Order: sequence, then C-alpha cells, then structure tokens
Amino acid sequence: MTAQEVRLCGLLLREHFGEVVEKVGTQLLRSGAQNLRTIIHETGLSVDLVKKSLMVLVQHGACLFSSGRKGPGSPTEYRSGCDRILRILRYPRYIYTAKTLYGDTGELIIEELLQRGHMTMSGTVKTVADRLTQNMEEGRSMDYSEVSSAFSKLVETHFLQRCPPLAGAGTADSTNPAPGATPATPSTPAAPPTPESFPDCYKVPHMTLVGRGKRQLTAEDGEDQRNAKRQKMDPEAHGDEGIYWQVNFERFHLHFRDQAIISAVANKLDQTSSEIVRTMLRMSEVTTSPAATCTKPLSANEIFRSLPASYNIPRPILDQYLTLLVDDPMEFVGKAGESGGGMYVVNLHRALANLARATLESVVQERFGSRSARIFRLLLRKRHLEQKQVEDFAMIPAKEAKDMLYTLLSQNLVQLQEIPKTPDYAPSRTFYLYTVNQLPTARMLLQNCYKTVANLIERRLFESKESKRLLEKSQRIEAILASLQASGAEPEQLTEVEEMITAPEKQQLDGLRLHINKLDSAENQVDETIFRLESDVNSTATS
Amino acid sequence: MAARGRSRRTLSFSVDSVGINRGESLPPTLQQPTPVFPVMEQKPLPLTGGEEAEYLLALKQDFRGAMRSLPCFIQPAAALRDVERYSDKYHSSEHTDGLMDWTPDWQRFPRELRIHVKKPARDGVSVTRSDAQLAQKKKKKKVREKEEVLLKLETLQKKEEQQSEEDDDNAEQKKKQEDDDADGEEEYDEEEFEEETDYIMSYFDNGEDFGGDSDDNMDEAIY
Repeated sequence: MTAQEVRLCGLLLREHFGEVVEKVGTQLLRSGAQNLRTIIHETGLSVDLVKKSLMVLVQHGACLFSSGRKGPGSPTEYRSGCDRILRILRYPRYIYTAKTLYGDTGELIIEELLQRGHMTMSGTVKTVADRLTQNMEEGRSMDYSEVSSAFSKLVETHFLQRCPPLAGAGTADSTNPAPGATPATPSTPAAPPTPESFPDCYKVPHMTLVGRGKRQLTAEDGEDQRNAKRQKMDPEAHGDEGIYWQVNFERFHLHFRDQAIISAVANKLDQTSSEIVRTMLRMSEVTTSPAATCTKPLSANEIFRSLPASYNIPRPILDQYLTLLVDDPMEFVGKAGESGGGMYVVNLHRALANLARATLESVVQERFGSRSARIFRLLLRKRHLEQKQVEDFAMIPAKEAKDMLYTLLSQNLVQLQEIPKTPDYAPSRTFYLYTVNQLPTARMLLQNCYKTVANLIERRLFESKESKRLLEKSQRIEAILASLQASGAEPEQLTEVEEMITAPEKQQLDGLRLHINKLDSAENQVDETIFRLESDVNSTATS
Repeated sequence: MAARGRSRRTLSFSVDSVGINRGESLPPTLQQPTPVFPVMEQKPLPLTGGEEAEYLLALKQDFRGAMRSLPCFIQPAAALRDVERYSDKYHSSEHTDGLMDWTPDWQRFPRELRIHVKKPARDGVSVTRSDAQLAQKKKKKKVREKEEVLLKLETLQKKEEQQSEEDDDNAEQKKKQEDDDADGEEEYDEEEFEEETDYIMSYFDNGEDFGGDSDDNMDEAIY
C-alpha cells in the first residue's frame, strides 16, 4: 500500500462516493485492520456517518470484515485493500467490453452491478428492463426474459459470479473450506474464502420473474419516485433471495490479456497469425486456469479444424504460420511436442513480460529520445555491460553515451552493479557494470502511473472548482432549455434563454469542457498502461 | 564525493572505468530541489483519439454522474451558516437522512453496523435517526402504548402527546449534536406541515437564496 496508491484510492473514493467515504476509506487503507471504535476515533466523524460509509464500502466489496484477532468475542475488524478500489479506474473498459460481447443489455447489466456493488438477479433484471424500456420508442417495452437470458449468458462465461456467503453470518455452505478454521485457530484470522471456492459460484438460480419493463412517466416525477421507492420495499419474492451477484473482474482481465496478445501478434506479424492465436486462445478458454503460465497444448489438427470458416487456408500454410509464430523472438507461441501434427501452446506469462518490456522501452523512448532507448534495449538484451561496451555496441560516441547513461541512472531506470576483484572493493580494482532489472523497473513505472492518474484527477477537480459558478449557471440554463423544449416553446424564447450565456462565457465553457475531456481520456489511457504493467508484475510474482 | 582524508584530489571510485576523462569536470552540484515543472526536451505524444476512446470517455463521465445520484454517495449536510437563524429549526429537519434509501440485506453486514430508523408517524412528523439505545427505549414505549390503546380510548391522545414530546426531545438532541446527519430526499411533500407549526415550508424562506445569481453584466441598477 504505497503512498501513491493510497492517494489515488482516496481521490477515486471521493469522486464516486463522497468525502465522508473517502475519509473512512483512507483511514482503513493507511492503518490496516481496525475495529469500529478506532475508526470513529481516528476520523472524528459521527457514528452514523462512519457506519453508513462502512456499509457502502462493504456493499461495493472494497472492505472486508471478520471477527477480531483476539478470538470470537472481540469486535469485528474491517480491512480494505487498494486493488479493489483501483479497479474503479477500469469500469468504463468493463462496460465497453460487455457491450461488444453482449450488446446493450449486457452493457446495462454490468453497469448496474458496478454502480450498486452487489445485487440480486431479479433486482438487476427489473432495473435493466426499465432502463431499456425508457430508451425505446413509445409503446414498446423490454421483456424480462430477454434480460434474464443475457444475465445467464454472462454467468455462463463467468463474467458474473455469486458473492461468497459469509461464514458464520447466515447459512453456512456445506463445502465451506474454512468453517473449522476460525474457531480452531483464533490467533490467526482465516483468509477470506474466494468466491470461486464455493461450488455454486456460477449457478444461475431458478427465478420466477415474469413481466415487462415499466416506463417511467416524466409528468408525475415526484409521485413516481415515491412509487419506485415503495416498489423497492415491496417484499416480492422471486425465489432468489439472499443470492447476490458481483462482477468478476479477473475474468475481464483475462479477456483484456487475450486481446492484448492478439493485437500484439497482429501488429508484429499479420492478420492471419493473429486469427490463429485467437483461435488457440478461444479453444483454451475453459481449460486454462487464470494463473497458468501457458495454455494447454493444442495439436495442429485441432487448430485447423477450429479455425473460423472465413479463413480457409490450406493445411501446409497453417503449419508454416505456426512455425513462424514459434520462431518469432517474442515467443508468443511455443512448441510442446510433435504428436498430432505438432503440439502448440500460447506462452501467456512470457507474452505478458514481453508486452511490459515493450511498454518500458517506449516510455524510455518518449522521455529521453531514441538513442537512449537504444541503450536501454541493449542493456535489457545483454544484461550487464561496462561503460566501454555500451558505447561500442550502441554505436554512440562516448561523451553522449555517458551523458545518456547518467541521465537514465539518475532516473533509476538503469542500475550500477559492482563486481569486486579484491575483497576491499577498491574502486580501481572493481568492475562497474550497467544493468536493467525489468521487474523493479516495471514496479517503479507502475507507481509513476498511479501518481500520474492521481495528478490528473486533482487537476480536473481543480479546474472544475475554479469554474464552478460558470458550470452551475450553464447547467441551470440547460435545464431551463430542456423544460422549455419539452413543453413546446417558440424559437424566440429558446434563443432568449440561450443568450443568457454571453459569448466569452461560452468560450470559457468550451475550453473548460475540452480540458476536462482531455484529462479524462488521459486517465483512461494511463489505465491501459497500468493494466499491462500490473498483469506482468502479478504474473511474475506468482510464477 | 570529495575525499575526506588528506586534501588530495582523489575520488572514491576509479575515474577510468566509469568513463570520466581527465580534462572534463563533473557537472555542477545541485544546491536546491529540482524544479516542480521541469522543461521537457521531448514533447509527449497526443492522446489516442478514435471512436472507442470517445465512447469510453462518455461512459466514464456518465458513470460518475450516475454515482452522484445514488444513495451510496454520502454527503454530510452543509455546514451551518455563520449566524444561527430562527428558520434553522424548521429547515434542518428537511435535510436529515431518515430512511436508508436502499434497504440492504442486513444478513450480509455485521450487527454493529445496523442503524435503527424510526418510521415516520402518520401525522407527517419528520423522520429522525437514533442509535440503538434510544430505539430500544422507544420500542419499549411503543409496545406499552399499543397495549394501552387497545384497552382504552384516551391513551390515543396520550400517545400523541408522548410522541410530540419525544420529537421535541429529538429536535433538541439533534441541535445539540455537532455533526449533522446526511442529506437525503424529502419524505414528504414540501408543502406539508412541519411539526408544531401551521405554516407551509416556504414561509420559512429567509430570502438568502434570492439574488444568488450572477451579478455581473447587469446593466440595470439595483435598487
């Protein structure tokens, strides 16, 4: 939990849940597991506010609670992790992926679940159907069964999973792996069981839900809100009470990883090779575990049969492509045997490491120039080099090479390794070798990325705060315009209202909007880099 | 990096192997922190545009806006203004977050996080929040009162009296509490009656919200 991560998490919590939750969240992140009294004391907020914030955090999976360390009688402890909160940056990407895979229905389902944290299937289906009905033309409405089938498809492909039932609170699952652990070992808290350790994780419950989406009439807004609230409180039982669903981020990450590998192959080689790799990854979706180093071996015959029908390449050409892929220095595909026409695997971890390495190289190139990037790549390939050797291999004059090396060294992208000839490390009798360690450098750049995103968010908040009055005024005018248009006003009235904003103010507003959009899309782009670096760091850590 | 021993110009590392030649001097030492916004030699690349990036941007902004309107966005009531006003007594009850706007499944949360909520009584009394002890006391009172109502007719009046007394107590307690409760939607129509008064809520507008619009570009004088 580095300082940069905590700062970024605090900003994300503030934007999405308000300042109260930000205070409570940062307190949990900074000081580890605490009980309720400590949190109240440290943050200085009122009891009710702290309770409510903790509930919001638990609802969204950002905070876990467990019985205290001193045994079953001690107060419950709450702990929070940076990872879950940092996922908030990636929400737009999840929603967009759901849209490309499952259409608008899938997109709205994922969006609702991300907004609410945990929800039952019936609740989600109803809300999504209502939202879809809002956007359809008059007289048409969305049937619940369509939404339910989209939901089931998402569960089948593991994009959604059930929230794990709590051990001790509510019914205990019969195959709960940790029921005996908690009373037996009061000193060490049992690690919270992952959702996947429950066998029903991906089982769609039998649900009786028949109906169509309801369109909300805008004329009676106030009454409708009360009706909607009353609807929520109606105890309609649909047969799936107590079963809550959440978005399975790991599955989305696997999908992103596959996409990254396929596009890398397409960029490096050509479209057909990327199709072959896509086929291989698709075939091994269910058989590969998330932490696997490489996919299960697939024979060339199987690959040939599973290629999409539009790509009818003859068998020998496929073999040639596979040989090319295996010989490629990026090592995306490896050969695991000769049976069945050749057994091929996709090297997942090596592909991730190569992608991260490419990211590092491009960072150096953009920041320090192409010659420094050449030195960096050289050091990555040759591991340890002396000053003289660097100059020779990189074919850069000595003075400039020295300057660049020192700049890289001062930025900590390159390290100096001393190899003594004598035990007293005398400088005249020691080798000084330059080297690059990929993993610590990747970690350092990852922290830089977190700092970047935090700075972007702060700048955006600063810009909005500066022009707060202007933004409010423009919002008010837009609301007036919308209501006038809805009630059918003449064009003169509309232009009159529009003229309430003067021209320089409009310019200022446009500039402000442009800045905010730029900052937002910059955040999205940095998040892509964060994803690549994070997946490499995590895969290297586990392997 | 200068030698600490004799005053000879030797450095702690060998000069040759690290590549500094005789004639050159070391770069000047820095004696202040590096500048906050250093000049960049290479300009950064422009952002990737395209349909996908724009759609992602729109999704992100929509998501942020939607989160602000959900009940999980907690905002404490705005800090009270500099001087206490008479209308505060009637305005502050509007802002209390009475009912939880989302009814969570209490099974999934630890016991201690339960917030007991007093449901609004039928005569439009404002909703307040209390902690466990008060709720228990009230529950006991209510149970006792219900039994009496079943038996006698006069205790109906007594219950109303007691409830209005409790509301007085609660209103006082609320004012004593320094932290304010969270904002929430109004549970009742604004035009309805506040407790103990016969006036509609707009009677208590103290005119401070009027004229808050921009005063720039006003060609007419203000009288």
